[in-house]
Formats: sequence, C-alpha cells, structure tokens
Amino acid sequence: MTPTQLQWARVAKDAFTVALFAYIAGMVAYFALLAFSRPWIGKVATTIASFGAVGSLLAIVARGIADDRIPWGNMYEFSMVLSFLVVVAYLVLVERQIGSKTLGGFALFFAVVTMAMGASFFYVGPGALLPALNSYWRQIHVTAMITASSLLGVGCIISFVFLFKDWSERGQLREAARRVPPPPPPIMGGSLDLDTAPEAAGEAAPHDLVADGDGAVAERAVARGRFPSAATLDRAAYRMISFGFPIWTFGVICGAIWAQQAWGRYWGWDPKETWSFITWTIFAGYLHARATSGWKGKRAAVVALVGFASLFVTYYAVNLWIAGLHSYAK
Amino acid sequence: MTPPSLPRSAAFAWRSLRSMRTALILLLMLALASVVGSLVPQEMNSPERVAHFLIDHPLLGLFYRKAGFFEVFGSWWFTLITTLLFVSLFACLIPRTRAAIRSARQRPVQAREIDAFPLYREVRVDAAPATVLAASRRVLSRRLFRTAAGETQVAAEKGTAREIGSLLFHWAFVLILLGVLVGKGTGYTGHAVIIEGQTFVDARANYFGQVRTGRFFTGNFSGIGIRLNSFRDTYRDTGIPMDFVSKVQLLDPSGAVTATADIRVNQPAHYEGMDIFQYGFGWAPVVEIRQGGRLLASGPVAMAQDTPPKDVPALALPWYGTEKLTTLAPNVGVSMEFWPDSGAFIGVKTTGEPIPMTTLNAPIIRFSTYEGRIFDTSRTLHLDTSLLRKVESSIVGEGQTIDLRTGDELTPDPRTGKIDYGNRLTISMPSVRKFTVLQVSRDRGVPIVLLAAILILVGLLPALYTARRKVWVRVQPAGTGSVVQIGGFALQRKTQFEEEFARLVRAVTEAAGGEVPREKEVAIP
Repeated sequence: MTPTQLQWARVAKDAFTVALFAYIAGMVAYFALLAFSRPWIGKVATTIASFGAVGSLLAIVARGIADDRIPWGNMYEFSMVLSFLVVVAYLVLVERQIGSKTLGGFALFFAVVTMAMGASFFYVGPGALLPALNSYWRQIHVTAMITASSLLGVGCIISFVFLFKDWSERGQLREAARRVPPPPPPIMGGSLDLDTAPEAAGEAAPHDLVADGDGAVAERAVARGRFPSAATLDRAAYRMISFGFPIWTFGVICGAIWAQQAWGRYWGWDPKETWSFITWTIFAGYLHARATSGWKGKRAAVVALVGFASLFVTYYAVNLWIAGLHSYAK
Repeated sequence: MTPPSLPRSAAFAWRSLRSMRTALILLLMLALASVVGSLVPQEMNSPERVAHFLIDHPLLGLFYRKAGFFEVFGSWWFTLITTLLFVSLFACLIPRTRAAIRSARQRPVQAREIDAFPLYREVRVDAAPATVLAASRRVLSRRLFRTAAGETQVAAEKGTAREIGSLLFHWAFVLILLGVLVGKGTGYTGHAVIIEGQTFVDARANYFGQVRTGRFFTGNFSGIGIRLNSFRDTYRDTGIPMDFVSKVQLLDPSGAVTATADIRVNQPAHYEGMDIFQYGFGWAPVVEIRQGGRLLASGPVAMAQDTPPKDVPALALPWYGTEKLTTLAPNVGVSMEFWPDSGAFIGVKTTGEPIPMTTLNAPIIRFSTYEGRIFDTSRTLHLDTSLLRKVESSIVGEGQTIDLRTGDELTPDPRTGKIDYGNRLTISMPSVRKFTVLQVSRDRGVPIVLLAAILILVGLLPALYTARRKVWVRVQPAGTGSVVQIGGFALQRKTQFEEEFARLVRAVTEAAGGEVPREKEVAIP
C-alpha cells in the first residue's frame, strides 16, 4: 500500500467513526422528537442524520481509494455501504415522501446496528480481493444486494411501526364503538371506496377502510397523532418492499451468473445462496399476501418482519456461523 | 349429508391448490425447508462436515439421515413441496392466462352510470358532441389507453401490462423448472485432475472421484481432450492469491488439437458443448522408485492437501500421496509428504509457525516406508498402515536418491557420474510439476435458465409498477355545445391516479375547445 493509500485508509476509518456517532446522535434526536413532539428537534435530527450520511459517503470513497477498487468486497465494507444506503433511503424515500420524521429513530437504529456489527465482527484493513471475487458480475451482484437490502430493511422497519400503529388504531376504533352505539359509517374524504362496504367498526381494520390514496386522511392522522396513519405506513412499507424486491431478484440472478462463471454452476444451495432464496421467497410471500384478501395489513406486515429476520440471517448470520463459499469475509 | 364423491373432492383439491393461500403456504414451506438445508450440513456441499456430524451426534445423525436432512434439496419432501408449488402455479396460471388473452381481445366495455365512479367530473364545452367524442378518444389514445368508442361514449383502459407482466413472471418459473430438468437431468459434472504435460480425456473412468450425472444421462461423455501445458499461480507479497491460470490445449474427440485456452477463476472455457472451470491445483512431484536400478514406478504423483484448520493459512500444510509397490514380496508402501518449500518445513519444526508455501524452494519429500501385505492396490492418497510394518522414515530432496529401507543417500560416482544401485530399493525426485483441477460439466439448460431469469425481471417490473385504470367519457348535447362527463377509477396507485385524472380532464376539455374547469366549478354530486 502506498503512503497516500495509507492516509486514505485512516481518513476512511475516521469518517466511519464520525458517521457512526452522528447516527447515534441522530437516533437519539429522532426518538426525542417522538417523546416531545417539538418541530425543531425534528430539524436537528434530520440535519445530524444528513451529516452522518455525508460522513458515511466520505468513508466509502476514502476506503475505495485505499483499496484501489470498488469498496464493497467484504462484510465490513458491505456494512458501511448498507448503513449509508439505509439512511439515504430513509431520508429521501420516507421522510421526504411521507413527510413524517417519526420513523427516523428506527431507521437510524438499524444503521447504527449495521455499522457496529461491521466494525466489531468483520473489520479488515483495506486490501485486494481474492481472484474468485474478481468479476464484474460480482460488482453488480453485490451492489444490487446491498441496495435491495437497504430498501427491504427500511420497508420492514415501516411494517414494524405499522403493526403498533394498527394495533393502537384498532383499540381506538373499538373504544369509539363502545362509546357511541351505533357506530358511525366511516366516511373518507367525501367518497366511499366502491369495493369496500362499510363494515361494523371494530371488526374492520381501519387501513382496509381508508381507501388507498386518501391523502387528506393520512395528513390529518399525522397532525393528530405522532405516527402517520396505519394505512399510510402500510402503503409506504409496500412501496419500499416492492421497490427492493425486483432489485433483490436482479441481485440474486447476477449472483447466479457469477456463480456459473466462477464455480461452474448457477445454483448450488450454498448457505448464502439458500438464505438469499429464503429471503426472496418470504418477500415474494409478502407481495402475494398483500394481494390476497384476509392477508392484507397485519398478516402481510408479520410476513415482512419474518423477511427482516431472514434478511439479517442472509446478511450476517450466514457469514458468522454457517460455513460456505461466501465465508470470505471472516 | 352424503360423503363427497371422488370427482367432487378432486375438484375441491384443485380449487384449494388454485387458491393464493395454498400457494403462499407452500412458498413459506419451501423457505422453511431451505432453512433446514442451510443449518444442517449438506452431503452435496460439505460431505466431511456430514461425516463429523454423524460421529458427534450418532442418534440425531441417524434421524437426520432417515429424514433426508443431509440432502434436503434432493429429499422426497422438498421435491413434494416444489411439485405441489408448481402444480398450484399451473392451476393458477392456466385460467389466468386464458382470462388475460380473453380480456386482451376484448374492447373496453361501455359504462352505464359514469357519475358513480370514485373519480368524476362534468364539464360543459361549446363543441358538438361528435367532435368532443373524437377529441377525447384522441387524447386517451395518445396517453396509451386502449379505447372503444360507442355512440355517446368512449371507454378506455390502461395497464394490461400489469397482468401480462405478472403472467410472464410466473411462467418464467415453469421455464426455470424446464431448464433445470433438461440441464441437470441430461448433464453431468466431474473433476479432472491434469498434471502439466498430460492429457485428460472426457470419459467416466478418467474423472477424479465421483461424477455427478443427471437422471436422464445416457452415458454419452463428450470424449474431448484437455492437455495441460502449464499451470501458474501467482501471489501478492502478502500471500494473497492474485491469479490462477491453466493454459490448455483442447482436443476434439478424434484427438486433434483444435483450440487453446487460458482457464482462470471467473474465466471458464467453453468447448464442444462442455464448460471447463478452474477449480483447484496442487503439486505433482515426479517420483522414481528403483529396485536394483530397475524402474518400478516412475512419474508425477498428484498430491493432496488437507483443508487447513482455522488459524493456519492456506497452502501452509504439506501435500501427501502414496506409492504402492505390490510387485515386490513382501509389498512395499511408501507414504509421502511433500513440502514445496523446505524453508517452511524447517520453520514449522523450529518455531511452530505455519508459513504458506506459494513457490518452489528446495522442495523435499518426507517419506515413510512400510512392508507387509497391501490389500487395497488402487491408487489412494493415504496408505492404510494398520497391517504394515514401518521400516524407515527419511527425506528426499530434488535430484537426490535415497534408499527406501535404510534412508542412506546414494551419490553418483564422481568419475562416471553414475549411481551404483546395488540391490537397493531407492526413491528419487528428479523434478516437480504442478497439476490443475478443472471442473468439467455439461449443462444444456443454462441458456434456458438464463432466458427465464431475464423474463422474470422483464415481467416483474410491469407487474409491480403499472397500475390498471379505467376511464369513461360520455358526451351529450346541451344546447349548441355538449356536456362532457368523465369518470374513472384505478385498481392500484389510487393517489397517483387522482392527479392523472385531473390532468386527463384538463386535456380532454382543452382538446374539445373548452375552458379548463377550476375546482369550484366542478360539479360533484
């Protein structure tokens, strides 16, 4: 390694530390926002998170220069990139799109855990890769997998919050039903969804009744409570997962093409392959569940949470505890 | 109540298979089965770990073996789940495909009551109804709606790509199944160990270890030849491998050299329908064994290396092999341990620090000579010494000649340059070569599977991202002008459709020469 590269390696490490602490601070700020609901706290949180993202980006670029290659060749580097993408996905796709900062703490928590795991279990200094990893299919494969992981991860976090919100909304609805009999028919923004007849309150899930696309209701919900409405959360989670899923599919396919080149078979049920398939299957299940009556909402969200666990195993556990061809990272 | 008749229960089974719920459960069961496959060591990927498991957990191991946990992906229950899933897929896809074809042929249907749709606007324009109708149709067609014009109405719909994409995505899995059945079923794969200067011919007997053949494989090996000119492995200063390359000549079944190739990791060779991949490599010292100067055995011996334990770097362990001299009475077996770098050998013996041996440096073979009766006369890497008597252990270096029974070195006579062998049994290592391990396989299904993978992606995108939406425009005369009623709904992405609908209303109104209605002028019943 040249002296300049060594210098960049140090920069990468420092920037990593700065980003990690920024994410921790941002996470605390976002959770403080939940506790105190002061708009200025939200602004501070967003600023810190964005600052952390810049730090992450710097760490990635510096690491790339130190490595003299694209810096996602081992688990430490994946963790660095994944946490960066999670934060960016949150800031751009969740905070901007939904206009709610209430999920920030959860997203940053995910990023912090990812970085901490990377630093404590997988740290390796910058350097060259093994010949088996020397393929442009690998670059595409890994890029796709990290991107998809960040999107699916954020989607699952939203699903997680959805479950709580859904539970509390059902409780509120039941409460209302008990107090004012008979229950008033839920009217949404002036028009009823044709497909959904108003059912007895307390029985029907509120997110099923709120027609997809009733922005006004969602906005009011955000204004009223701390979290966006269950319907908004459900839709946001679906969007993230349906965005991440094709990328995951693409990533797995690229991996198969690379495997065909490197190992002479496109699929060999290696533990990492198997788990990427399991994760794929679960998220495919989620997408199907959402299109199936009776599985919408709560059940689909539970499937998403299972998917999150599977994602975690695919990402870390396989490398930590299960031997296989992908155990290059240890 | 009468018991359900057979056709009725068959119909019930078929209906249940078609339901999304069944498919979902099967899908999740497949995931669950794969979890088992990833947690329990698999015969296919790590046979040595299976063996260890059987020793460590005799009872659990027995259960696992009976349940097929060591070969999950070939087990009857995995096959059953997969089969059911595909049957369910078929059961679902066939009617859906029929319906999709029907609806693709069908023109959009006219609506009776337009003002009942979730989105509805009414606009007054000055143009005559016929003009407005034609203009609306133009607007909708330009926006890629499929339209059907009635006397007073244009019915339009968009987003058929969603269903078509979804169907494509799902059919592609049937194609994958086909590709796997064809490819793995008629194909085979094995490992060829080729020493520098030697030629491998593709036939069952020539493979190293087991040849994995498909269920429908008829034994038609290709008969091509692979001659290894050289194998080179290069490393960085840190010991990290940089490149492995087998330079080969490829021979057609008649034995004529028709091509050359450099086979690297990530850079396989394709020849006569065969795929050849770089898989491994090793050392093959040339060993000569003489009895009284007469050659008993001569040639390179491809040696093997154990997988190093966790804290030992790759290539730090010695390589091992055997020579069996069964023509002698009693039989003589030589167990050999090859150290490409004698410096590393000395290092390990003195400091205990294992050093990776990446290059040749005064190579040595440590050998032990055994006598007795050798029952297994086949070429094995380890010598079974349980029934043999150890005679001697020593070391032979490159160019040396050592007596196998006494360990004495025989030196050439300084005047004649010749060695006086007497009646001794000797071993010598005149040179050292390398061998490569190539994975040779035939899988005719690869292009099919690749095509299917592409179709999966091509289908997935519209299936997830296009929304189906329907719009109706009805025009009725009102004085000199017309009243335009526009109604519509979307099945997905309803929020976006609200905006699209507003733009559509504006476009239709403008095309009809009317004023763009402001929000407050819009009539909502």
